[in-house]
Amino acid sequence: MLIYAVRRIIATIPLVLAATSIVFVLTSLGGDPVTAKLATCTTCDASAYQRLIDLYELDKPIYPQRYLSWLTDAVSGDLGVSLTQGERPVKDILIERGKNTFMIAIPAFLLIAAGAVAFGVYSAVRQYSISDYVITGASFIGISMPTFFFGLLLQFFVVYWLQKTGQKFFYTSGIHIDTFTEYIKSASLPIMTLILVSLAGESRFQRAATLEVINSDYIRTARAKGLPERTVIFKHALRNALIPLVTVWALDFAALLSGAVVTETIFAWPGLGRELISATFAQDLDLMMGVTVVAIFLTVSFNLIADLLYGVLDPRIRFD
Amino acid sequence: MKRNNWRLIAMLAALFTVLAACGGTTEETDAPATTAGSTATTAAGTATTAGPEGYCTNSTGTLVWAHEQEPPDMHLDDPNNNLTTTAWARQALWDGLHGISSATVYFPELLAEDAVVTENGDGTVTASFKLRDGLVWSDGDDLTADDVKFTFDVIMATTADGDDEDTDPDFVYLIGDRTGYDTITDFSVTSPTEFSITWSEFFAGWKATFAEIFPSHVFSADAATAAAEMNDQLREFKLPNGDPIPSSGPMVFSSWERGIQMNLVRNDNYNGNVSPDAQNRGVACVEGVTIRYVTDTDAQINALKANEAQIIMTQPQLAFGDELATDPNFTVAASAGPVFEHWGLNVFNVHLSDPLVREAVALAMDKAQVMESLYTPLFGDLLPGEGLGNTYWLSNQPQYENHSGDAGYGLGDAAAASAKLEEAGYTKNADGIYEHPDKGVLSLRVGTTGGNALRELQQQIIQAQMKAAGIDIVIDNVPGGAYFGERPFSEAALECAGSGGTAGDCTVWDITQFAWVGGPWPGGQSASYRSSSGNNPYGFASEAFDARATECDATIDDAERDACYNELDTYVTTLGPDGNGLVMLPLTQKPSFFGYSNASLAKGAVAPDANSAGPLVNVVDYMFSG
Repeated sequence: MLIYAVRRIIATIPLVLAATSIVFVLTSLGGDPVTAKLATCTTCDASAYQRLIDLYELDKPIYPQRYLSWLTDAVSGDLGVSLTQGERPVKDILIERGKNTFMIAIPAFLLIAAGAVAFGVYSAVRQYSISDYVITGASFIGISMPTFFFGLLLQFFVVYWLQKTGQKFFYTSGIHIDTFTEYIKSASLPIMTLILVSLAGESRFQRAATLEVINSDYIRTARAKGLPERTVIFKHALRNALIPLVTVWALDFAALLSGAVVTETIFAWPGLGRELISATFAQDLDLMMGVTVVAIFLTVSFNLIADLLYGVLDPRIRFD
Repeated sequence: MKRNNWRLIAMLAALFTVLAACGGTTEETDAPATTAGSTATTAAGTATTAGPEGYCTNSTGTLVWAHEQEPPDMHLDDPNNNLTTTAWARQALWDGLHGISSATVYFPELLAEDAVVTENGDGTVTASFKLRDGLVWSDGDDLTADDVKFTFDVIMATTADGDDEDTDPDFVYLIGDRTGYDTITDFSVTSPTEFSITWSEFFAGWKATFAEIFPSHVFSADAATAAAEMNDQLREFKLPNGDPIPSSGPMVFSSWERGIQMNLVRNDNYNGNVSPDAQNRGVACVEGVTIRYVTDTDAQINALKANEAQIIMTQPQLAFGDELATDPNFTVAASAGPVFEHWGLNVFNVHLSDPLVREAVALAMDKAQVMESLYTPLFGDLLPGEGLGNTYWLSNQPQYENHSGDAGYGLGDAAAASAKLEEAGYTKNADGIYEHPDKGVLSLRVGTTGGNALRELQQQIIQAQMKAAGIDIVIDNVPGGAYFGERPFSEAALECAGSGGTAGDCTVWDITQFAWVGGPWPGGQSASYRSSSGNNPYGFASEAFDARATECDATIDDAERDACYNELDTYVTTLGPDGNGLVMLPLTQKPSFFGYSNASLAKGAVAPDANSAGPLVNVVDYMFSG
């Protein structure tokens, strides 16, 4: 397994280079900050912008010179500075915003994972029952509901409840983390929003996978041996039924940790996703690249973890 | 098994319930709550002796302003930052020699009285100033004429070797635009409250200078060193020892939690607000202001309704008005804002080079319909229903004249537009669009910064109006700020405009739409029309205009100068004296408005935004209930 992991890590290097190259070139082609700022500031002294040109090496070709320059710095741990945040080091911003994103992404993922397994397995075991139809219907509503709409809907309910009863259980926006209670009050709505979309989709995955497994021969054999149904489902069926979901979990978890753009924007949650949007609109190239690198790193890492987990879940899978 | 599965589901449901229960609280405790990192106290905080007798009956609570845009730093002239939101925050921190009232008129702010301006007979002009008595900074130090002199010195500072921004790449001017400072030949301090300034020639915008006075006592005495220190320390608005830079305004900078909020606290040494708009002449009633960064407009409205914010200030939009204007729990305070939209025409476009075609476009446009669609239902007669007709003066200023309307433009007269086109040699095709035998189909691209819904809606309305007159309009927007660099202010386009159409690329754009900001001194607008200006993308070139603009800026008498600017406007919003104008079609002045919660606030401030001042310019007036 170790050799496999090392091999996979080495194989990801070209992938990372390709991904960062594409993102760097596209973001750089999207416009440079100097042109935009000069155009909107008719009284500004153009010479003051030389610093920006020097900082981003805007007088050099985008590829490969500027990209290689960025890459060399990035490999040595210098991800540059953010022009939209008073020239703070991008690395510091990523750590700060990453923590905020983790605060909603990890609980959301745990609840999504638990919920997907619970609803998916229950729905499969009780196929075509009323509860299966209810769960299926709710899943389709969740899948089809846009994130921004659901987020605003939750905010609306908080406002409605406040106006109706004078009680307010959650903050509608912002991050408040002075106490655990404050954290729960401010993180709950973003977490619920994150849960909705992923849980709905993943529970459908789990249902389909469980249905396939519980109709297989070895499950029939287990039942014929007289094993209790709970043992059949949780000990024999679930492990195999989890394999497809592990892939989805890996992608979803990486996406959640990379920042949920819409959710963090709606709830003014200062995480990586909101940072990416701000950086994109302000053409803050270093910051954009920083968030992108985090996303690439997380996606590659969690895919590797998922591959390794296949072997744990199904001993028949070998890595050599 | 059935029971166990239900247990799993019940467990998840219980988890949600616990999450909810943990967060429960009553609404009453939220309103003036202290925010994370703020040094302000909570609703039960100490009472102050602030405010004039009878105004601040409650001196507690931190005002939360939910706002969409977070500044990159607090240095307004940082090349990374020319954001209005920075200016809005600094409005609460530093006063200037003159303030601007909601009527877009200068009033003496730190000054005790209007300055006396004297012509010296040799072309130079001297203004004598007197500061209000007893002015102090937030840290208790005296604010004197030496601070004003220091402000001038750091703005004009060069290095010890005499190098400046152009010769020393490490040196950056404290402010980018030093117009009005660079012609000062003498600055004399005659007493702690009296000083005089001499300009080499009269500068019409002199009242716009010294809009902020800097505290000399916390920076180095050497101007160049101080300028370098300020370039660094203004970004976080903190001194090297961690203390905030002292204020002369009603608030003092406290802390900044990036991505979350900026915290200001009350300046208990505030010198008092003398604006004609302010009701409270003393220190602020609220203990502080938290500017919380909420990007989404709907989320801002929800934050206001959920009592997590007491004020919001956002783009004028129908949803805002629909949700708040009719709700008795909120006040939507509106004023005629300083920002106005316009269509600028490229006179080197094959069609628009003919003044008759420019007239046709102007005649076909129906600005009243645009106003009716966007603003009138919400703001009634706050703005003229016929739209804006001047690019120098705004409709709420006493000098305003509707030149565009008086010329018959912007009234939606499709028949008159068609007549002009036919006079120019165009004939109508079967599809209703005009075509010229040599120039082809009359199809014009109009572009703006894509993503601005309000602006895009305006484009669509006018597109339909133009079609009715036989003019095909193609919307050609570019996302975000990249538009300017790629279209009207691209190198090729500016080269075309500057060369009289002989160089560069004159086909980059046809019509541009964007916003300008007006003010009590509109002379700066001329830079966009002068033939020698690098900021004139339209290609308009008139020696008569250039000469008259210079005369206007040199006119000392206020009334004469105001009239002169009106004359300049006729060169560009009509065909003008030389028949070569009409490159600018003013559209609509945008209302500025903000909403605040009546449920939490006993008193709000007046709509403040005559000069893009933001909601904190009269922050002294806000007061919490109870």
